[in-house]
Amino acid sequence: MSDTKATEYILSVRAKNTPGVLLRISGLFSRRCYNIMSIVAAQTEDEQYSEMIIVVRGDDRIVRQVDKQLSKLEEIEQVTVLERDSAVVREHLLLRVCRTPENSEFLVTLANALHASILQVSPTAMILELVGDATALNSLIELCKPCQIEQILRTGAMAMSTQGVEAC
Amino acid sequence: MLLTGAQIIMECLLEQDATTVFGYPGGAVLNIYDALYEYRDKINHIETSHEQGAAHAADGYARASGKTGVCLATSGPGATNLVTGIATAYMDSVPMVAITGNVNLGLLGLDSFQEVDITGITMPITKHNFIVKDVGDLAFTLREAFRIAQSGRKGPVLVDIPKDVTAHKCEFTSQKPDHPVGAPALPDESRLLQAVELLRECRRPFVYAGGGVIASEAAGALRELCEKLDAPVSCSLMCQGGFDQTDERYLGMLGMHGTVPSALALKECDVLVAVGTRFSDRVICNADLFARGCRVVHIDIDSAEFNKNIYADLRLKGDARTVLEALNSRLEPASRPEWTAQIKAWQREYPLSQAAGCKDGVTPQYLLETLYRLAGDQLILSTEVGQHQMWTAQFYPFQKPRRMITSGGLGTMGFGLGAALGAQVAQPGLRVVNVAGDGSFHMNCAELSTAAKYNIPVIELIVNNNVLGMVRQWQKLFYNGRFSQTTLNKATNYELLAEAFGVKAFTIRTCRDVEPVLRQALDYRGPSLINCLIDSDMNVLPMVPAGAAAEEPILEIDEKEQQQ
Repeated sequence: MSDTKATEYILSVRAKNTPGVLLRISGLFSRRCYNIMSIVAAQTEDEQYSEMIIVVRGDDRIVRQVDKQLSKLEEIEQVTVLERDSAVVREHLLLRVCRTPENSEFLVTLANALHASILQVSPTAMILELVGDATALNSLIELCKPCQIEQILRTGAMAMSTQGVEAC
Repeated sequence: MLLTGAQIIMECLLEQDATTVFGYPGGAVLNIYDALYEYRDKINHIETSHEQGAAHAADGYARASGKTGVCLATSGPGATNLVTGIATAYMDSVPMVAITGNVNLGLLGLDSFQEVDITGITMPITKHNFIVKDVGDLAFTLREAFRIAQSGRKGPVLVDIPKDVTAHKCEFTSQKPDHPVGAPALPDESRLLQAVELLRECRRPFVYAGGGVIASEAAGALRELCEKLDAPVSCSLMCQGGFDQTDERYLGMLGMHGTVPSALALKECDVLVAVGTRFSDRVICNADLFARGCRVVHIDIDSAEFNKNIYADLRLKGDARTVLEALNSRLEPASRPEWTAQIKAWQREYPLSQAAGCKDGVTPQYLLETLYRLAGDQLILSTEVGQHQMWTAQFYPFQKPRRMITSGGLGTMGFGLGAALGAQVAQPGLRVVNVAGDGSFHMNCAELSTAAKYNIPVIELIVNNNVLGMVRQWQKLFYNGRFSQTTLNKATNYELLAEAFGVKAFTIRTCRDVEPVLRQALDYRGPSLINCLIDSDMNVLPMVPAGAAAEEPILEIDEKEQQQ
């Protein structure tokens, strides 16, 4: 059972929007020793419900356990394990990097090339914003490293199933 | 009608036929106790010595009756004192509703006097919990609490109610609960047919039953399955009495303190049918070495149990009784004379037996077998946790469900006496004996005063070896006999203590005392305590040491070698 490789799974969890529901879910993960890579939670189109996108690291058996244990919580309406192939996955990154007369032009070019927005510029720093998948975010971070990154904020992954919205 | 929150609580308890409440008063539940005074003709409140006792009593009440147990405590320490009892019920899937008071709404979150976040504290040990901040939500929440406690895999639910919510008024309309809670689900037909096929073709089936059999009232269906398969059966600690243990198909427990015939049946069977069990580590021992040579059919109401500890070849999700009945109706009776003969040979070769430490010394086996001879199936036995608990499961032949009440999953010392009180209140027609160790006895012995106050005729049977026997046994085996803190040597005079609480006391010193003393205690119509002295070095055997295979228990411990 332990020979399967650990990979990342994306769970879409629809829960009643009650106080403490996030605590119930995160508590379940910690006491059952499941690894949360990221969690994004917010109200849905129906304000009675929250949608949480949880990225879990584990093997196939673990993710099934997570699915079943989550489904037992009273407030959970539905748990869906999203396949990366049939979902759009996006993360949001805010990055503050040191700006100098020497690197200024490089940073602007880099931002344009990677479709990042420049939110704020001061003589000594620049705040960049990027929405994309983990690969895109990671490349921006890597490329900015030589310029000295002061702070990184990133949300976890949001993911939406593309079923029913197949590209033409 | 316009009622206060406290009155609504009473009405909701009556709706659920929850007419017995175990609890303890306090500041935050003053309104609730005032309502209890008003409803004293309809709701029987039993005041324990400690809130933990109330939680265990509600648990024992539920286990003995199948109904939902109810306990009540005030905010802060009252609520935290319930925690061990709630966790005990959670681990053994016992339906319970715990009601706690809390400080006024405006004082919540301000570290007010006797304030704790009990919903936060009990989140991991309840099936679900609530805090009610609006009296308009109170009735709905309590109905939900009872529904959740009894539905699917049962469990405890906590409802926390701030004091002012119990004073606020709200319109209330009585509403009968719509039991049963949904029709029990069946696995799909193709799965059932696969199981039937597997069971038809197997040669050496072995049935292993867990607490789900008791919870779903499946004892009759279990018996029919074993007869149709012509299979031997083992019961987990949680399923004692789920199969008649005087029946020759019964092999004893499986696992850490299982019998040799059970271990051999596990080793040699070709199909293991596991019913309503979660494959506790105390049963499977080394998971990698469990059920290697057979296919596993796992029946459980909670699909999260499938492939959690043990991989199952075929998984049938559903209520144990419903699934067993579905299987039984599709199975023809089979006969497996060779397998049966083999099982019988093992049973003859490896009976459970215990030798006395000295001439005339009392063995737990003799004590429990005598108790069975005198009272037969007219008893409920609760236990504390340790050697005496395993001896009770090994040597008392339970014949019916709900007759052994024990903390299996959490292993809560101090559980038994409170649970015995609850069981006795639930089943006044039977007698309840709490088999205790002298260690466990000291944890919650103040509940003897509750037995005396309400004249609840439980028998507290202390199997007194002057040591924490189970820990001592491990120290003997794995720590070179370094008996760190396990020799109790307390100055307690058990008989005087019992009498001080208003409980009649008896002593058993030699095996000649056993029968007359048990008779006297059984004939006495009130609560009593029996102090039964046994040797300090009696062991629980067979035993599977940690890390070993469940198939290979050790049968004896060489005292001299271990204590050199």
